Formats: sequence, structure tokens, C-alpha cells
Amino acid sequence: MPTISLQRDDLEALIAGPGEEPSRIPLDQLEQWLMLVKGELKGHNSDTGELRIELQDSNRPDLWCCEGIARQIRIKRQGKASAYPFFTKQQRVAGKLVVAPGLDKIRPYVAACTAVGYRVTASGLTQLIQTQEKLADIFGRKRRSVSIGLYRLAPIVFPVSYDLVKPDDVRFTPLGMETMMTLREILMVHPKGVEYGNIVSGHDQLPVLRDAKGQVLSFPPIINSREIGEVQVGDHELFVEVTGIDLWMVALTLNIFAANLADRGAVISPVEIQSPVKTTFGRRWSTPIDFGAPRTIPLDAIESALGEALGAKEVSAALKSYGYMVKSAGRKVAVQLPPYRNDLLHTVDVVEDVAISQGYARFAPVMPSQFTVGGLSRLEQMADRVRHLMVGLEFQEIISNIMGSQQDFCGKMRLEGTEWAKVVEVDNVMSLNYSCLRQWITPSLLQVETNSSRAFYPHRIFEVGEVAVPDRSADVGSRTVTMLGAVIAHAGAHFSEIHSCLDLLLYYLDRPFTLEPVAHPSFLDGRAGTIVSNGQAIGLLGELHPEVLEHWQIGVPAVALELEIDRLLGEV
Amino acid sequence: MDNLHPLESKVLLALTRQPDSPPTLDHLAESTGLEPSQLSMAVEWLLAKSLIAVHAETVAHIASLTTIGEVFFEKYSPIERVLSAARDAGQTGKRLTIQDIQAKEALEPSDVSKAVGTLKKEGAILIVQGGCIESTGRNSATAEAMRALLQELRSGPREQQAFPEPLRNVLQQHAVKRGNAREPFRIDERVTRSFLLTPDGQEVAQQLSCDGVPEEVSQLTPELLKEGAWRTKRFRKYTISLRAPRIAAGKRHPYREFLDLVKLKLVSMGFQEMRGTLVETEFWNMDALFMPQFHPARDIHDVYFVKDPTHAPAIAEPYLTQVMQVHEQGTGAGSTGWGYTFDAERAKRLVLRSQGTAVSARTLAAGASVPGKYFSIARCFRYDQVDATHATDFFQVEGIVAGSDINFRTLLGLLNLFAREVAQAKEVKFLPAYFPFTEPSVEMHVRHPKLGWMELGGAGLFRPEVTTPLGVSVPVIAWGLGLDRMAMVALGIHDIRDLFSTDLEFIRTMRGNF
Repeated sequence: MPTISLQRDDLEALIAGPGEEPSRIPLDQLEQWLMLVKGELKGHNSDTGELRIELQDSNRPDLWCCEGIARQIRIKRQGKASAYPFFTKQQRVAGKLVVAPGLDKIRPYVAACTAVGYRVTASGLTQLIQTQEKLADIFGRKRRSVSIGLYRLAPIVFPVSYDLVKPDDVRFTPLGMETMMTLREILMVHPKGVEYGNIVSGHDQLPVLRDAKGQVLSFPPIINSREIGEVQVGDHELFVEVTGIDLWMVALTLNIFAANLADRGAVISPVEIQSPVKTTFGRRWSTPIDFGAPRTIPLDAIESALGEALGAKEVSAALKSYGYMVKSAGRKVAVQLPPYRNDLLHTVDVVEDVAISQGYARFAPVMPSQFTVGGLSRLEQMADRVRHLMVGLEFQEIISNIMGSQQDFCGKMRLEGTEWAKVVEVDNVMSLNYSCLRQWITPSLLQVETNSSRAFYPHRIFEVGEVAVPDRSADVGSRTVTMLGAVIAHAGAHFSEIHSCLDLLLYYLDRPFTLEPVAHPSFLDGRAGTIVSNGQAIGLLGELHPEVLEHWQIGVPAVALELEIDRLLGEV
Repeated sequence: MDNLHPLESKVLLALTRQPDSPPTLDHLAESTGLEPSQLSMAVEWLLAKSLIAVHAETVAHIASLTTIGEVFFEKYSPIERVLSAARDAGQTGKRLTIQDIQAKEALEPSDVSKAVGTLKKEGAILIVQGGCIESTGRNSATAEAMRALLQELRSGPREQQAFPEPLRNVLQQHAVKRGNAREPFRIDERVTRSFLLTPDGQEVAQQLSCDGVPEEVSQLTPELLKEGAWRTKRFRKYTISLRAPRIAAGKRHPYREFLDLVKLKLVSMGFQEMRGTLVETEFWNMDALFMPQFHPARDIHDVYFVKDPTHAPAIAEPYLTQVMQVHEQGTGAGSTGWGYTFDAERAKRLVLRSQGTAVSARTLAAGASVPGKYFSIARCFRYDQVDATHATDFFQVEGIVAGSDINFRTLLGLLNLFAREVAQAKEVKFLPAYFPFTEPSVEMHVRHPKLGWMELGGAGLFRPEVTTPLGVSVPVIAWGLGLDRMAMVALGIHDIRDLFSTDLEFIRTMRGNF
């Protein structure tokens, strides 16, 4: 999840809160506090004061910014959250935003507010832009679900309209350009149009935000107007808007921005949204909006999950000092998340917040007491027996990657076009070297031979590992088989050498076998056999074909053995 | 006498055969038939034992050509070339300066001025006005001596004394000396020593010639044992300080040894092994783990998709329906769910297993024992560029613990046990963490003796949205250990790709310290 960059001074000022004197926070103290936000300090530049922090929790976008991190720490230090008036009290709306019909098919939802009284500083602007980008990119899935616009409020005349227009009907000067362009031109020419155009393309009408005078604010989710939509250092009246395809995500994102700007000293005024269709919030509502609802949780559920009888008092205190609104009555607590969060799916989410708020060190580890019997699967036991016997037969064990290329697993083995060339292939290939799963072990061992001509001979190598065999009758289209592969390579390598190894191996495993000649393209004709045990083919051995050795650039003769360990199991 | 090496015996006996004229090394080489290195070894040993002594030491000076001398022979020496240039100029009537000679003959200034000096002294040339050189037509003794020496020595080194006095002087002037290596000749000292037996040596030699040299045997054979003939044999002593010849062992791969040890630890802590398949459905790899289908980690850029068949024919019921409902509405699990429309077709999409937790999910559905502890060491695949810290496929060590006594504190207790048993760590730290399928979630850090604080693994309590649809009603711990870094330290390697090395020499010599 995201790594963000922030200024230490800025963070310290926000942790202290408005009107308070910030104090220097030692880095080790900061690292402790970062546990509250599942954050890890990745870097610190003492010259510039830059801190780099990685945030883990993909369900807490409110924490992906300096303001959010500071807020969580500040609340912990103060013991409870100070309420934001725009969430709790009826406010005078700054204006109206009217949604045109038909947007429900493209990008239905919008939320907006104004923020007045915070004079934007250079570092504040950097943070606003970073938050805008991280939220739109990661939470908003590259602007598809959510995108955000920031504007200078002064030139905007309410009501603002969220309209649908034909691509050639509206022109404005987008950010980063000098001239007026139509929406169609922006999609074709502007870098952001090229990057994000696919979100809205395919519709004959496109979304646009305009004010009462017809001035274009932006073409969401692509680009803002250069005149109104370029916030600069020194601006102190802002208009914030979020559009998207999920009502809750849009509302949550605006709530986060409102809280962030309020934390920096802005007064937030709501904007009334007027929708042509009825939504969960009705036809008219104001944003920011507190859509949360209290949830009643038995204390027992929290205590038994944590394994600690904390009691109502400690649970309440822990949650309050983590930003929750809490009412406790007897053995029950009614909890509600602050409006900049929407990640309460289950009681367990509250349980974790209690633990994080109290610190994991609050909970003494206890050993699980119930008795269980350990053991290995029968397959692993058999694989280990085979491995130990192979070591006794003086083979060196190898571990190889299971992913590789068809060229290695089939082409170099002379298997192209035969029944032995069936492999599990990957659809989204990143590199041709890693495009499929091996269907047998021998190519992995020949790869070792290719790279080891300077290691003294004889070479006796083996691997016991998994392979994937395509099989339509299997529930995932292939079987995962645990296989033994072995190769002997040296100037005098001979069929009988590997035959003797097989003979001894299966003698000790008590699996009588016979060899049936097989015409396998990887081996010299007349020097290869199928291993048959109890009427079932369980493997293959033979002397590798000189052409195979040539393909692998191996300069000595080599013999190979391949044995399915799964088939050695039989009935107990 | 017992300590006599057979080489020494040979030299002693050779010396008794020539009591009158003390032999040199060359003579001894002839009479013993030994290799020069063996002979000088034996002589040094005998001298050290005072069984022989040096009779006389003569020093001869041997002259030979250097590589420069070889060049001079072919292309003439500076003095010859200067003289010849002066004569040519005389015939053509050209004026010739020292600079002209330097340029024309490409000679070093010091070589030219040395040659000119000698020739002038011998009266072979004159320096006239304007620094021009003229041939007098007279011969140069030095130039002639030089040619004679180059010719003589070309056929092989010769003793300096063999040359007449004038040649000897030229030879010495033009021999390599300290600080001047660019000379055509070299004079080496050769010390010739002759040896005779000391009184002790005579005694030992006497004995030797009476008793004969005992037959020396290097290898004890079945025949020698059978006939008891070994009793009359001498067994050659070996120089045991030499390095042993290399052999290759049959052995486990060191990384596998490490994983075997982990396996053993887990089994000894009461964990049962589980196994899964390399190819999985998105359902078991992600849906069953309550990862919403819109989760960023489910993107095409994080998972490998299988080409053919693209989808499994079906997902087993009732799991499909139950998981779908829990995603959509949280049904049955006391959850709100994710509130989106679950795509059952997407659930059947086949992928390469990207996390071992898929194996745990299958185990839970198949009816895990309660209480029960399970582990798997599963090969997983991630859509990453291969580099020093990312392999195309890698082992994940993970598992579950199910039981009515499972809660956050027993989770920490279990992690403590792992830290102690698997990492031998005495200090442990627990940090809040995020995994899509657990809540609460923990990251465990341990203090490694070599690496300092490091992340050992992640764990948590499975969300009820994971366990309930799979028919499990007790709390379940899900845990995973990141052991590759520990393995790399134990094996002394720095590149994760070396865990899967294809270099047999490297694998043969790699060893673990664990």
C-alpha cells in the first residue's frame, strides 16, 4: 500500500493541533506512534526534514496523508476526538450542486464542500496534491471509482452543475495547456486524457462541472480547468469536489478532505447536492455527510477475541482514544466510527482497534493449550524416503524453479508436437523465460548440466519436486505431481548405471517393476523404457538423445530417470 | 637407517661406486637415473643428515643470449647499424647527423650515442663540422666482436672462459646488469658441487650394500595379506600434509536441509502437513480469503493467469454460495460484507497459486480437526520481475491453528513459540499489521543474532467472513513465516536466485550454518 512523503515540521504541528505550540518529536517516539496507523518509517532526510512513511492498511485511506496520521496520534494523546462541527451540526450551505440526468450511466455521484480561512502554504499544497493523487490512484483505482478536484472558490458562482455534454460542445483551457480545447481534443491530445480517457470513453456524452456563469471547472475524472482549477500557494478560499461510481466511496473521500482541511485551520461549509434520481441519501443532501451508524457490540465478543477481560471502562477509553464515538451500557458498547472512516465490517474490526489503541504490548502472550498431533503427509514421507535413498546412491540434490519456458521443457527435449509436450501455460506472460510450469524434472537437471561443465565429473544429480500435468478431469485443469528426476552425466555415462539406481531404489521401497521399451523423442531409440509397477506406468528412464544434449550444450553423455512419487504410495 | 627414503638409498649406493672421483650432480643423475628434482631433494636430505658432504664447489660463468640478443642477431645491434648507416651515407654522399640515424633506424638516443662514442674511439668514424658523421672506412673491432658473440651464443649458452680476451670484454660490457636490462647478453653463475660420503655415510652405505635396499610397497594388496608377504615389505610413507583429492558427496541441497529442519520443528510442535496444487482457482486463492474481487492485489499485474483452460468447470458447493453471500452482504458471518455484486465466473478463473493461505482455506473447507494445527511449505508464484530479492517461484511457509482456546493472546503465544523454536530468537516484538483475511493482524519482528531486528512473519485471526462460509465455527489463527532471508544468512548467500542455483560447483560447495 502507499508510501507517502511528508515534512517533519508539518507533522509535528498537526500532531500538536491548531493554536498549540509544536514540539520536536524524537524519531523513536514517532516510530512507536506509527503503530497506531500501521505505518512504518521508511526514511528520514535530516537535511530537508522529509519523512517517508509506508501505510499498510488498504481499508484506511484516511491515514494515507500527513493530516490523517497526525490526527490518529493527536486523538490518542488527547484521549478522545474533538468533533468536527460540519459533521455534527446543521451548517449553512455554501451553495448547490445540481446533478444532470443521465450521469447514472457514466459517473453518477458527486460530493463537494468549500474550505475558507486556511491560507495554502507550499508544503500544505504538496500534501493536498499528494493526498489527491494517492486517494484517486489507489483507493479510487486509478480514478475509475473516485477522483478529486480542488479549485479556487472566488471565481465560482453557485449553483454549480454536474452536466453531461457532447464531446465537441464544450471548450476550456485544461491544466498544463495554453489553448482552449474541446473534451474530444483533451481525450486525444492531453496526457491525462490519454492516460485516463478509457474511464469515460465509449459514451456519446461526457461529464463536465460548470458554474452558474457556464465557466468550466473540470472534465472529471480527467483534468481541471486552468483558470479555476489551479490552486496556488496563498489561496485561502477553496472548493473541493469528488466524483465517482460508488456513493459511499465518494462521500468518504470528501469527508477525508474536509477533515484534513479543517485540521489545517479551514472553516468547512457544506454544499447541497441535488440528484435527479433517488439515492440512499435521498434526492437532496449536503456533503460532507456523516453516514455512519452506531453498532452495538457485546463486551464479551471483544473480551473473548482478545483473551483479556478488559471491562467496559477500558474498552470505551481505548476506542475513544482511537477516534470512535462510544456509549457503553452494562455489558454492551455502542460504537460509531468517525465520518472519515468506513471500514467497520465486523466486530473483529473493533476488536483490532481496541488492541491497537492499547498497544499490542498490553496483551501478555499465552501458549495455546490444546493438544494436537503433528505429522507429515504420506506423500511427503515417501518423498523423504526417496530423497534419502538418492543421497545414499551418491546423488547431489538440486532445487529448481518450477516456472520456465516451453523451449526448455519441450523444445530442447525434442518433444514439440508430441503428447509429452502438454504444459500449463500462463496467459499474462511477463517474460518468455517464465511462461509455463514444468511437466517433468529432467529439463531442470539438464539446465544444471549446461551450467556445470566445469564442475568435476561424474555428475550425479537429482530433484524431488512438484510438476504440473495438464488434465481436464482435474478440478483445476491440471494435476500437481511430486516427481523424482535424476541425471548421471560423465564421459562414460551408461544406461545400466541409472538402471541400477532405479533397481536398488525400488527394491528398498518394495515396488517390483519391469521396463517396457518406449519410443520417447528425448531418448535414444532402444535405450529408453517406461517403468511399470503393479500394471501402472510410474516413470521413465533412458539415455538422452545426442540432439537433446546438443540443444543443452552438454558435452558428455547423460542418462536420466523420472519417477512419479505419488504413484509409489498405493494402498495402506 | 630405517628413516632412509628410497631416493636417499639410491644416492648413497651411487656414491660408494665412485669412491675416487667425487661425483657432481650431473654424474649422480646419470648413475642413479633419478629426475633432477628427486635427486636434489635426496642430496639435500643427505646433507642435512650429515651422511654426505660437499667435496668441492666450482663457479662457472655461463653466457647466453637475452631476447634482445635474439633480436640483435636478426636485425643487427645498434653499433653495427650506426656503422653501416655511416658507410651507406659515405657512398651516396649524403650528410648524416646523429638525429638522422636515430630517426631512420628508430633507435634509442642513448644506444646511438654509446655506439657513436665507441666507433669514434676505434677510429671507424669521424665527427665533422655540423655534427655530421663520416665513415673512415676502417673496421670496428667492437662491431665485429658483437657479431661473433651473437653468432656463437645463438647456438646455445657457453662458458665465458671459452671466449678469447677481446670478445670476453665486449661480452661483459654488453651483459645484463642491475639497472640495465636492455642488453643482448646474460652471464649466469653456475655452481657445481661434487660430493663424497662422510664416515657416517660410509657406514650406512656399507650396511646398505650388504642388506640390500628393502623392497618398497605403496599399496597393501589382498595377495600380500594372504601370503603374509607384507612382513618383508617396506610401506612407503606418505606426505600426509598434502591436500586431500576432491570427491563429490551424495547429499541434500543445503536450502532443502534448512526447509527440512523447519518441517521437523513444525511437526515437533504438533503441526500436521497439508498439500495443495500449483494451479488454483481465484476462489480458493482469494475469494475464500474474503479478498474482494475489486481488491488491488487481484489485478492482472499481481497474479499469473492460466491460459488453457482458463476456468475451472465448477466451484464446490455450498462454499461458492456461502462465500458469495458473505462478500455481498456478510451473510451468516455477522458482517456487513463488501456490498458489491460477486462474479461467480471470476471465482472459477484459474491462476498460479500466489499465496500458501490458499492451501489453508482448502484445509478448512475439507474439515480441519478442531483443535488442529496445520502447516504447508508451498511453492507460490508472483507476477514480479526476477531480481536479487524476487524469484519467479518461491516457498511460503504458512499454516493455521484452530481451537476453542484461540484468541489474540494465544496468537501472540504461538508467535513467541515460533520465534524461539524456528528463529532461536530471544527477543520478539509484535506490531499491528494489515492482511485482507485476518483481524486483528500482527507482524512479528525478532532480533536475529546476525541481522538484528527483522520481520519473521505475519499472522492474525481469520476473519469470521473467512471461516464461517467454510463451515468452521471456532477461531482460527492464520500464520506465515518469511524464512528466505534467514535461509540466505544461514547459507551465506546474498541473492535469492542462488537458492535455486544451477551451478553444480556452487551447490556442491555451499554449506549451511544452522
